[in-house]
Amino acid sequence: MFSDSPSPLVRDLQAALGASAVLFEPEDLLPYEYDASTERASPDAVVIPRTTEEVAAAARIASGHGVPVVPRGSGTGFAGGSVPVLGGVLVVLAGMNAIREIDVANRVAVVEPGVINLDLQNALAPHGLVYAPDPSSQRICTIGGNVGTNAGGPHTLAHGSTVNHILGLEVVLPGGRVTNLGARQLDAPGIDFRGLFVGSEGTLGIVTAVTVRLIRENESVRTMLAIFDTVDQASEAVSAVIRNRVVPMAMEMLDQETIRVVEPRVHAGYPLDAGAVLLIEVEGLVEAVEHDAQVVIDACAGAREVRTAESEAEREALWEGRKSAIGALGVTAPALYLLDGVIPRTRLPEVLNKVLALSADYGFKCANMFHAGDGNLHPTVLFDPEEEGATERVLELGGAIMRLCVDAGGSITGEHGIGTEKRDYMSWVFSEDDLEAMGRVRFAFDPTGQFNPCKILPTGHGCAQGHFAPIKQHLGAGSYV
Amino acid sequence: MTNVTASPDLEGLRTALPPDVQRAPEAYVLDGVTPALAVRPRSMSELAATLLAADQGGLAVAPQGGRTALTLGRPLARYDVALDTTALDQVIEYAPADLTITVEAGMTLAALQATLGAEGQYLPVDPAPGDQVTIGGLLATARSGAWRGHLPAARDLVLGATVAMPDGATVTSGGRVVKNVSGYDMHRMHTGALGGLGVIVAASFKLAPVPAERATLILDCGSLASAGATAQALWDRNLAARAITILDPEAAAAIGLRPSSSVLAEFAGDDVVVARSLSEAGAVARDHGSLAELIDDDPWTRLRRLASGETEATVVRAGVPASEVAALVGRASAMMGPAWGHIAAGAVWARPAADATALAALRAAATEAGGYLQLESAPRSLREGVDSFGEIDGQLMNALKTQFDPNNTLNPGKWAAEATS
Repeated sequence: MFSDSPSPLVRDLQAALGASAVLFEPEDLLPYEYDASTERASPDAVVIPRTTEEVAAAARIASGHGVPVVPRGSGTGFAGGSVPVLGGVLVVLAGMNAIREIDVANRVAVVEPGVINLDLQNALAPHGLVYAPDPSSQRICTIGGNVGTNAGGPHTLAHGSTVNHILGLEVVLPGGRVTNLGARQLDAPGIDFRGLFVGSEGTLGIVTAVTVRLIRENESVRTMLAIFDTVDQASEAVSAVIRNRVVPMAMEMLDQETIRVVEPRVHAGYPLDAGAVLLIEVEGLVEAVEHDAQVVIDACAGAREVRTAESEAEREALWEGRKSAIGALGVTAPALYLLDGVIPRTRLPEVLNKVLALSADYGFKCANMFHAGDGNLHPTVLFDPEEEGATERVLELGGAIMRLCVDAGGSITGEHGIGTEKRDYMSWVFSEDDLEAMGRVRFAFDPTGQFNPCKILPTGHGCAQGHFAPIKQHLGAGSYV
Repeated sequence: MTNVTASPDLEGLRTALPPDVQRAPEAYVLDGVTPALAVRPRSMSELAATLLAADQGGLAVAPQGGRTALTLGRPLARYDVALDTTALDQVIEYAPADLTITVEAGMTLAALQATLGAEGQYLPVDPAPGDQVTIGGLLATARSGAWRGHLPAARDLVLGATVAMPDGATVTSGGRVVKNVSGYDMHRMHTGALGGLGVIVAASFKLAPVPAERATLILDCGSLASAGATAQALWDRNLAARAITILDPEAAAAIGLRPSSSVLAEFAGDDVVVARSLSEAGAVARDHGSLAELIDDDPWTRLRRLASGETEATVVRAGVPASEVAALVGRASAMMGPAWGHIAAGAVWARPAADATALAALRAAATEAGGYLQLESAPRSLREGVDSFGEIDGQLMNALKTQFDPNNTLNPGKWAAEATS
C-alpha cells in the first residue's frame, strides 16, 4: 500500500519534529510492528523525538487528531506493551539516550529514557556505583522501558524492582502537558505518583527523563554454582538459605532442559546430567560474604557439588549461562513462548512439577530458567508455529500455567508486565471493583484513553471496545532475543 | 472550636451503626474540633459500610489509627466522623518461609514486629514517633526514619493493599508475593495520600531477617561541618550501617547525649560484620579528630519520638542531596530548635521554633539545594498559612481525588492543592 502524499497527521508531526524524525511509509513502519511478544500491529506513524518538547508536541498533535500514542524503547517487551494495536503514533525513545548527569557524591543519576540499561551500568562502573535493576535483557533494553514495566532482574531479590530505584520522573502526560513526579531525593511529599507511574506500561504518560538512585558497589562478591539431581532438591536449598537469615543478591535456577541447551553453546560449566543448577551470588563486606557463603553451602547440603567462581572470568561464565539462556533456547526451536509468573517461593517444587506435567500434556517441551529466590518463574515453551494449531495450543498452555500461579497464591507477572498478553487474565487476580478502580487511575491521567490503548486493563476497562479489532496472534522465529 | 452541625444524615449514620462500634467523640479531637461521631468498626466490611453511609450522607470522614500524624497536612475543612481503624488488628496471613505477611491496617507496628520477631524477622522500618503507629498510618503518611536510605521504606516493602472506598467498594491492588507487576500499583498511590483517596484496611509486606547483632556509636565531632564530613566518610566506606545521623547539639541533648554536634551511627548484621564496621568507623573518627564511643540504642527510640508532633510542636522534614544535609541541619539549627539529618536518605528533620516567614526561608533553602520541605506537624494556625507539602502536581492530585472520592468525603481540605469545597 502506498501513500501518495503524507496524511495530515504525518504533515503535522513533520512540521513539529522535522521530516527526518517521522516515519510513515509502510516499509519504514515494518520494524515497529512488533516487540518480543506474540502481538503485531502497524502504527500510522513513527516519531523519533530528541527532546522532551518534541515528545510533548507529538502527544499534542496525536491528541488533536484523536489517534493513540504508544511509547517504545528497544521493543524487548514480552507482553506486547509497545505494540500499537489501534495504530496511531508510535513514539520511539531510543534517540533520547543521553546520560545527563552522574552525581557521584550523592549517588544519583539523571538519564534519558532511551539509555540502554547496560550502558548506564558501564558508565557508573568507574565510579564504583551500581544501578541495581539488571533485567536479563540489559544489553538491549532501555531505562524508559524498565520504568514502563517496573522491570526486575536477578538482583531484584536483594534490591527490589525498578520502582525501588527511581527517585523522580519527568513525564509527558496525555494531551502533552509536561510534569515532574517524585523528586531528586527519596520520599517526596504527597501521593506517590512516581510509584504509581512506574509499571504503568505507557498508559499514563511517556517518561522523558529518569532520576535514578545508585548504590555503592560492594567490596566483595562471591558467585556459587550448586548442582542438584532434582529441581526439588534445588528448591529446598533456596528455602534453606532464606530460613537461615541470608538473603543473597541473586538465586537463579536452571532446570535440566535449559542446561542441556545452554551448556553446549555457552560453556558456562553446567554439568549436562544435572537435574537443576542454582546460581547463587552473595555480596557485601568481605566478612559478610564469608559468612553468607558458608550459610549457602550448608543450605545446599542436598547438592551434588557446590562450586565457587575463583575468578572474575569464572563468575562471568556462570552468569553468561543464565543471561544467554533465552538466546540459546531460541536457536533450538522455531519459536519460544517465554512466560512470566510468580508464586510464593515455598511452592516452587510443587508448581514447577505441575508446569512440566502440563507442558507434556500439551505435547511441548518446556525449559525453566528463573529467579528462584523471588519465586518468579519463566517457563519457556518450545514450539513450531508452522505446525497446525501449535500457536493456539501454546497460548492455551500459557494461560493454564498462569492459572497455576494464581491458584498457588501468586501473580500473573513478576517483571514483564500485562500488556496485551495478559489482559484477559487480570480478572483471575482482581475483582470487578479492583479493575474498575484501576480504570479510574487510568481516567485521571488519560480521560480519553488515548495513551497505549488496550493494554493492562481488560477490554471494557478504559479500552475503546468498539475499535478493538481481533489481534492476530503471530509467533515468528525472529521475534525473540 | 467546633463547627459541627448535627444533620439528619448524621442521625442516619448513627442509627445505622451498631451501638458498640460507636465511641466517645471527645477522644477524637483534631485541631480543637470534636467530631459529631466516632466509629471503631470491628471488620473491614463494617468499615466499608460506615464509609459508604457517611459518603451518602455528605459527611466528612477522617480516618485515624495511632493518631500520631494527624497534624500532617492542612487543617480539615470539615470533620464529622472519626473513623478509628484500630480494631482491625489481625494477622491475615503470615508466611515466614516466604518472608511475607498480610495484616489488617489497624494493627500497630509494635504488634506486627512482635509477631515477626518470634520468627527472627521484622519489617525494617523505623517511623516517627515509634512503633505505636498503625500499619495503615505508616503507609498513609509514608513516614520513615534513620534507617531510610540504608534500608527500604514502607513504600518499597508494600506488596499490595486493600482499601475501602467512599462508594462502598473494597479494592485490592498488588498481591502477596514479593515480585508483582500486574495492574496499577494503587497501594503505592495510597502511600503518602494521607487517607484522601481511600481507607487502607489491609496490606502485605516483604520482610527481612532481624540482624544478628547491632551496635550504636556516637561520634562527637565538635562542629556541624566536621559532623557532615564524618558522616559522609562513614557513608562512603559502605559499611554495614543501618543509620548515619548528624545531630546538632540541641538534638543530641534532646536524646540524652552530650550537647555537641555529633554523628550517631548504627551498624547491623552478623557479628563479624558489625565488628569490622565498628573498627573502621573508629578509624574514620580518628581521621576526623572526633571521639567515638559505643552506647546503648535508646537514643534511636528517643530520636523517633523527637520527630513527633504529638505535642503540637512544629516538625519539618526536608529532602536534599546527601552533600547538603549538614548545611541544612545548620540552617535549621539556627532556628532555635533541635535539628538532625540522615545522610543516606538526604533527609533533614527539625523542630524549629519558627513562624511562617522563617519556615518559608528554610523551605527556600531546601528547594535551592534541589530538594523539598514538608511540614510534618505544626499547630493549626501555622498549617493554615504555610503549605504543608511544597510543590506537587495539583492537577494530578485533583484528578485522582475526583475519581476516588468525588464527594470529598475523606479528609476534605487536607491537601494544600485541593479546593476545600
